[in-house]
Amino acid sequence: MIRTRGLVKKYGNFTAVDNLDLNIPSGEIYGFLGPNGAGKTSTILMILGIIRPTAGEVFLFEEKYTPDRLDMRNKIGVVPEKHPQGVWSWMTAFEYLQMFADLFDLKRVYKDTQARIDYLLQQVDLHSVRNKRIAEFSRGMLQKLSIIRALLHDPDILFLDEPISGLDPIGIKQIRDLILAENREGRTIFISSHLLSEMEKLCHRVAIIYKGKLLAEDNMSSLLAKLIKDREILIDLESLPPDLADSLKELPFVLDTTTRDNTLVIKVSKKGDFRKDLSSYLIKKNLVPLRIEEKALSLEEAFVTITNENIDMFTEIGGRE
Amino acid sequence: MNFRLRAASVIAKRRIFESCLSPGFYIAQAVGLLLSYFLISGFVSSIDSSGFNYMLHPLYELIGRSLAGAFGATFLEKLFAEGPFQFVFYVSFVPVFLYLSFSTVFHFGLEKKVGAIELLAYGPVDGTSYFLAFYIKDVALTVLYQLLLVLFLSAAALLNNLFLGPAFLYVLVVIFFMALMLYTLSILASVLTDGGASAMALYIGIILLFLIVMMGSFTIASGYVRSFSSVLSWVINWVSPFFYWGLALSSVEAGNTLNYFLILLVMAALSGLFLFLSHLVIKIKGVRP
Repeated sequence: MIRTRGLVKKYGNFTAVDNLDLNIPSGEIYGFLGPNGAGKTSTILMILGIIRPTAGEVFLFEEKYTPDRLDMRNKIGVVPEKHPQGVWSWMTAFEYLQMFADLFDLKRVYKDTQARIDYLLQQVDLHSVRNKRIAEFSRGMLQKLSIIRALLHDPDILFLDEPISGLDPIGIKQIRDLILAENREGRTIFISSHLLSEMEKLCHRVAIIYKGKLLAEDNMSSLLAKLIKDREILIDLESLPPDLADSLKELPFVLDTTTRDNTLVIKVSKKGDFRKDLSSYLIKKNLVPLRIEEKALSLEEAFVTITNENIDMFTEIGGRE
Repeated sequence: MNFRLRAASVIAKRRIFESCLSPGFYIAQAVGLLLSYFLISGFVSSIDSSGFNYMLHPLYELIGRSLAGAFGATFLEKLFAEGPFQFVFYVSFVPVFLYLSFSTVFHFGLEKKVGAIELLAYGPVDGTSYFLAFYIKDVALTVLYQLLLVLFLSAAALLNNLFLGPAFLYVLVVIFFMALMLYTLSILASVLTDGGASAMALYIGIILLFLIVMMGSFTIASGYVRSFSSVLSWVINWVSPFFYWGLALSSVEAGNTLNYFLILLVMAALSGLFLFLSHLVIKIKGVRP
């Protein structure tokens, strides 16, 4: 559905995107992650034909895409990070969406364009403000309006740049549900973000870009497994002997131990399942484990956002799979 | 319909609607019509038994002396040979023309700066369809205003026992073609620059350059400079709407109607060329702020 081949963007001597190959099949939610300045926006703008690549090609719907292909743009919906409402601030939400409905010649697809607009406004709780001027909209409302605008013409591909940025928790859930619902209808969704927690909830596959290069590309669980260097096993005991935590460190697979009340927190290597070994060890010491649980670390717990500081973790993954 | 033309026509409709809601458009029209009222009543007061005498009215005395000083007495005679309407038409047309072209230059620069064109370009709109929309808006509103002006001047002629004259029609058409050229130049200035203020400065600079060349200021110098300036004037004249306006009216005076229409054709072709250049520039520069 979306494919790039050897995509390069240079600004003078600075290489923003370096030989990027992406391949996103139809119906996938694809997360594009990276810290600020990694080359995410340049990549999206090249895919959309807004800026010209220094080298490389973009293919959409298995056809070579160039900025002149206005016909293809009818099949794409885009939500940019910032919404330039200033120019259209005098319009009501409905008038604004009607303008885009006219531009996309929505009557071709929907007999009742008004009903389509109303349906989408209802999906994100904006129907009650359909006749309110855009100038009076909050950032969250504008973001929702922008998403509706992008969905209006029923595109096959949806590009979202930081779609939940600036939204309150309810707004985030509405947008997340809307994205998932749109994907269930078969839409391919490309999300650029640095918010890992949302990517984890939404994406089938993520790519991590840094300094214009693709560092990793995988599904969420595999990426998570690679990111998490070690695991935590929590063991509840009736009572904790004072020297137990230290004695456990003698086991070759134990990296570290701590205690919380009657719970042992044992850090073990991520390679292998050591619950059985730990259980045997404790029984030998005449201790009865009441509960043994391996704590699943979420991507968000690994770190909340990708920044230039923590990107080293991804670098250590060792490039693309 | 072609995607680009479709997008241009949708945006143009909205632009026309916006202009019709904007007080600026009505103020420009009111100024134009008010000027024509004063000029026609002044002209009527300047008629005595021997005919039109600009010295009889203070406003016309000022206008007459200025025009005769700048362009010569013959020009003045020709201008008022068929009554006041050619002159009134020129003067009344200027406020609306300036309003339309300046608003295009200003809005294009502003909308590019805030990212509005980029947002539209995510959809089925490209830079070319965007500036074409401005052009369609300017042309449509010019036609509308010209019709209004013709109606107003016809009524004024009827009430004052004057007549518009056959040359008026030629002036009406050539001014329209001149406006077409100037609107395309406003678009070219907009796409060449990166903001409303710089685009406006460039556009005003272009108009002033054409006016200066037309008025012959470049030929005042002597020697080397004179040869250089005359070559420069010659080059500039080839793309100057004012030059073609003068040529077209001279053709009418000489009774060469065919030449007049050929000049209109050249003006239309140059408008097309400027639009094509704008298309190339925006294609290279892109729509990003």
